[in-house]
Amino acid sequence: MTHKRFWEWFIFPGGIWIALLFAIPLFLVLALSFGHVDDFGRGVYGFSLDNYKDVFDATYVPVLLRSVGYALATVVLCLLIGYPVAYFIARYGGRYRYALLAALVIPFFVNYLVRTYAWVALLADQGLVNNLLVDWGLTESPIQMINTPYAVIGGLVYGYIIFMILPLYGSIERMDPSVIEAGKDLYGSPLQTFIHVTLPATQAGILAGCVLVFLPAVGDFVSAQLLGGPDTYMVGNLIQDQFFAASNWPFGSALTVVMMIFLAVWMVFYLRRASKGEAEVL
Amino acid sequence: MSAPFYKPRFLKVFTGLVYLYLFIPIAIVVVFSFNSQKSLQVMEGLSFRWYTEFFNDPTLMDSLLTSVQIALLTMVISTIVGTALAIGLVRAHSGTAKGFNILMLVPLITPEIVAGISALLIFSQLGIALSIWTIVIAHITFSISYVTIVVRGRLASIGVEVEEAAQDLGASKWQSVRLVLVPALWPAIVAAGLLVFALSFDDFVLSFFTTGEDAQPLPVRIWSMIRFGVSPTINAVGTLMMVVSISAVALAVLIPRLFGRRESGVKVLTGAEE
Repeated sequence: MTHKRFWEWFIFPGGIWIALLFAIPLFLVLALSFGHVDDFGRGVYGFSLDNYKDVFDATYVPVLLRSVGYALATVVLCLLIGYPVAYFIARYGGRYRYALLAALVIPFFVNYLVRTYAWVALLADQGLVNNLLVDWGLTESPIQMINTPYAVIGGLVYGYIIFMILPLYGSIERMDPSVIEAGKDLYGSPLQTFIHVTLPATQAGILAGCVLVFLPAVGDFVSAQLLGGPDTYMVGNLIQDQFFAASNWPFGSALTVVMMIFLAVWMVFYLRRASKGEAEVL
Repeated sequence: MSAPFYKPRFLKVFTGLVYLYLFIPIAIVVVFSFNSQKSLQVMEGLSFRWYTEFFNDPTLMDSLLTSVQIALLTMVISTIVGTALAIGLVRAHSGTAKGFNILMLVPLITPEIVAGISALLIFSQLGIALSIWTIVIAHITFSISYVTIVVRGRLASIGVEVEEAAQDLGASKWQSVRLVLVPALWPAIVAAGLLVFALSFDDFVLSFFTTGEDAQPLPVRIWSMIRFGVSPTINAVGTLMMVVSISAVALAVLIPRLFGRRESGVKVLTGAEE
């Protein structure tokens, strides 16, 4: 047995598992998206584009655009909130650095449903926040916070911000602090140093973080279901509906394919960088 | 600028506020799980009422047992397969290894709903009835990638010299893996297993798409509870789940430390490569 062949045997069980149970099923989704529903409500394979015509119908296009919009807003917020935090831990965390990181990770091992549900309890019309606002006399009647786009985006930020902070932390920690000093010597102002030195030096972390937040946020349906209403539904809610309540698997598959096409650019970009060892891999 | 003024007060306060934002919702779940009344706004008094309710609910207990079974099976199988994959990917310098190196990352960056639908389609195509096993298979698929990344991180720091030394001393290739490499990787393997346990135990989306009528895992049950109205029992279930998964994660951090490598525990969590 050659050297190479010996080690390749280790790859096969896991590699074949992923190929059979992940890669091939993705093509089943693609195949079914050209199918239709038979008289018994079951999905049948076919060669029609009808499902795609339906996807780009006036009813569904706004939902697709909304999903991308919410996900982009989530990415921007995660970056704005996450960068200072990652920067503080990496550069000023000192001996508490690992404790701070560990504390950051803990909430993300609390079930996502339970975490989102906690926000429902906080933001509801009769929820804790509104009760406090009314008690303190800041507002006469409760402010509607739940069932708004803000609540849905807030839920997404809360759910996925860790995927932004960790790669940011990695790239900031690896950055040589002396380049900041050098930047200060050359440019003077802290803002200029940040824009011309720190940001470019941590670009890999920023890009990885943005991709790692955007991808799951687009496909999320929990936040919109629990914190939003029909007006804030995302493509994930539509897809979920097709596989359960509406029971139109071929149409659900077409929606999934369209969503994946939206995401493919980001995924390929990330995989290319990761395979070159450039991106922060989570 | 002199040193004391350079300490960024703004960053410190901002970071503190973000930690508050992260922990307040969780604190609320825990605190209200001990509320003696049904209210989610006012703490009336302390009691274990909702915990008692949870432990006396046969369907919820059934779900808890199902969740633990799924997480254990996922942990054992994906740890074995994922470790082998990591070893193969790092040691075999071939085109196959390069290809699978990329393929392995895809499940981690694909939205879970897509993985859920794909799994549902392949099971229905093959005529496999949805059950606890279909959930386990779906969980293993993403867990393999996770284990591989954690173990690979540690593997990268172990040179081939040790294995070569073992082979010079007369060990076969296979023996050098079994007797030298795997023991050296053991802390990372255990940590990866515990993390995968926590991820599987908490997973909702994949379970939601691959669960059958009976034996629904806890998160799927919580989903229907939340949708049919707010019940304080959810706080108790949430708190208990939190205890289970955070214990698993804490062990995952502590175990590499016990083996004398200070930082690797956090590196396991943050997925940082060495």
